[in-house]
Amino acid sequence: MIEFLSRRFAAALLTLALATLLVFAVVEILPGDPALVMLGTDARPDTLAALRAKHGFDRPLGERYVSWIAGLLTGDLGASHAYGTPVAKLINDRLHVTLPLGAMALSWATLIAIPLGVYAAWRHNSAGDWGVMTFSQLGISIPNFWFGILLVLLFAVTLGWFPSGGFPGWKQDVGKSLHALVLPALSLSLGEIAILARVTRSAMLDTLREDYVRTARAKGAAEGAVLFRHALRNALIPVTTVAGLIAGFLIGGAVIIESVFRLPGVGSLVYDSINNRDLIVIKNVTILFTALVLAVNLLVDLAYAVLDPRPKVTA
Amino acid sequence: MPASNRRQFLGASTALIAAGAFGPAAWAQARDRVVIGMSLEPPVLDPTKNAAAAIREITYQNIYESLGRIDRTGGIVPGLAESWTISPDGKTYTFKLRAGVKYHDGKPFNAAVAKFSIDRLYAADSTVPAKSLYTDIESVTAVDATTLTIQLKNPNSYFLYSISLGDAAIQHPDSAPTNDKTPIGTGPFMFKERREGDSIQLVKAPTFRDPGAIKLNTVTFKFVKDASAQVNALLAGDVDTFPGFQAPELVDRLRRDNRFAVVLGSTEGEVLLATNNGKKPFDNPKVRQAIAHAIDRAELIASESGFGTPIGSHFPPHNKAYVDLTKTYPLDIAKAKALLAEAGVPNGFEATLKLPPVGYAQRAGELMVSQLGKIGIKLSIVQLQWPQWLSEVFRERNYDLTIVAHTEANDLDRYARDGYYWGYDSAEFKAKWREVVLTTDFAKRDDLLKDAQRILARDAVNGFLWQLAKIGVWRKELVGMWENSPTPSIDLSGVHWR
Repeated sequence: MIEFLSRRFAAALLTLALATLLVFAVVEILPGDPALVMLGTDARPDTLAALRAKHGFDRPLGERYVSWIAGLLTGDLGASHAYGTPVAKLINDRLHVTLPLGAMALSWATLIAIPLGVYAAWRHNSAGDWGVMTFSQLGISIPNFWFGILLVLLFAVTLGWFPSGGFPGWKQDVGKSLHALVLPALSLSLGEIAILARVTRSAMLDTLREDYVRTARAKGAAEGAVLFRHALRNALIPVTTVAGLIAGFLIGGAVIIESVFRLPGVGSLVYDSINNRDLIVIKNVTILFTALVLAVNLLVDLAYAVLDPRPKVTA
Repeated sequence: MPASNRRQFLGASTALIAAGAFGPAAWAQARDRVVIGMSLEPPVLDPTKNAAAAIREITYQNIYESLGRIDRTGGIVPGLAESWTISPDGKTYTFKLRAGVKYHDGKPFNAAVAKFSIDRLYAADSTVPAKSLYTDIESVTAVDATTLTIQLKNPNSYFLYSISLGDAAIQHPDSAPTNDKTPIGTGPFMFKERREGDSIQLVKAPTFRDPGAIKLNTVTFKFVKDASAQVNALLAGDVDTFPGFQAPELVDRLRRDNRFAVVLGSTEGEVLLATNNGKKPFDNPKVRQAIAHAIDRAELIASESGFGTPIGSHFPPHNKAYVDLTKTYPLDIAKAKALLAEAGVPNGFEATLKLPPVGYAQRAGELMVSQLGKIGIKLSIVQLQWPQWLSEVFRERNYDLTIVAHTEANDLDRYARDGYYWGYDSAEFKAKWREVVLTTDFAKRDDLLKDAQRILARDAVNGFLWQLAKIGVWRKELVGMWENSPTPSIDLSGVHWR
């Protein structure tokens, strides 16, 4: 198992290294001159040149790549061109919103979807199953930002139970901050709940047909034990795989949802940085996202090893 | 969603919000604070470091002051200078500065501080975005603590206006290097805190010279990009006003709500079908005139839900030097086709229309394809992000047509600039503009400005479409917001709750 995990870890590091090359290449070829974005249409050519020199936009590509990687390795991410703030602080502040948002969305996705899926498989072809499948079809089809707007109209504008957006900040008020994340996490997780419920249902349908489930029932095990101890544990392997993939989608979905709910998270930072051509922020945030997704995948691998001892033999 | 699932959703939500307070923000109980919604967030808070209009909207007249100030009518009134005189040759400006003015950190304002700040605008190594407005300055002298003279190289009838803009905010030498993060000025409000991506908070400055005149104690600017999120923020009471609401299609929703006033005002923004005069076949005036004959402004403005005033040249209709030239090339498809034939392209041609990511350009872009399609000009739309637009269209002049609003006041000088992205090069206009700048008698200058508008309309330099409207939305009890937008400023000095 150690060998399996260390191989996976090495592969993740290699992926990350390749990602830095790719990200750097893509960001550097983005059309648009950051100096022109900062100084606007009235800027004189000499002013633009002075600003480019100040931020090092005029240095050769190789030199810029090396200094970026050196910075990443030493923990010095540089300062944002647009805001003037250190990138590490900027990202750190925003992660305080995005990570709890993602965690809340992911936990809802799993807490809601897995019981739904288990229920639908257990009551296969019943009205309940049909209901879960319809909900899941709707959940996949509805764009999450639109669902978010609907939630705001109902719960913020009409009922006034939740704020329509914004984030008070953990230091100001933890309760209100959690409160502010409820609707965004709900809209972010809708599609994921739908997908995960489907995957759980079909995985459960497969395992419920297995001999060991019939054996368990035959020896008189309680239905709950059959469902959750015997069937679900085996069904969880594909479910975990999908949940890992979903974590990646959640990070991407945050870009839009944070804008709908005015959350100052990493997603809105990416959006603004692309519009400001704040190259150093785009590069670092993208690498951070890549690292996050890789970390989640490593956790998924770890979960496989716990759930099912077989992969360590085949690895 | 089946009922059982809905209960699960609500169950989960209720558990999580148990610790939090219920209910929309209680705006009514706080009469000394206001929450202002804005579409765009300023990157920094120093107008000498970045061109973003949002910087000026927040800081000008609230945090920083300039020597003169642009008031709500677009007029120039005393700011940090209580009066000024102009020498008969129009080259020497003598400003009498206010005495006893203090910065938010307690440091005094005087002529030496003003000299430092103005010197930065035109210095050889200056990286101020609006530097070109100040390059007529020859020297600045602090005569005594409250007297400042500015010597110009030549008369400039726009100088007083330029020196009163947010770009010329008077900053103190000690705080100037850090004003981008923690702005310190002489204005009625001082910077309290910024939460990047979310909000900026100002509080009433105890150092301000006339604290009794300021009714608000706390001002919060909240940044809401998404148009429907803006409406929701207003409806839920999280935001008291959007002074510059940018989604005309959603205005009806707000008009139906009797808590809000929706106020239409003027802006300095002319929406243009900007045309590359340096590129074939647009270098032929007949082609540009044909396009002008094919433009249906009524249809374009209708797609803005009626918000906008037609223009026939590059000039705002509310300005007293305005002359109505919308009939220069009236909508006339037959005439347009005839002009194309005279220009040697009787069957039209293909061209690209590069659009920036703003609502008005997107809406007008689609209509332009059909309007010019009627005279055989087949447009294909290319979508660009702003940074791309700036590099590709504006700097490299790699475009045929684009739709963009020019929002600066007094910006006809662009037609006299060499190498500007329209590629318009007219000795006649340049001479006329030189006259405008040199004429310090404003009545005479107005006549010259009318001539200048006529030249641009006649030459059909660009397609002149409409003047943007300012759509202000605020709580009915909120008094003193600017109806018009003569310069980027959300001046809160006169704002209070009824």
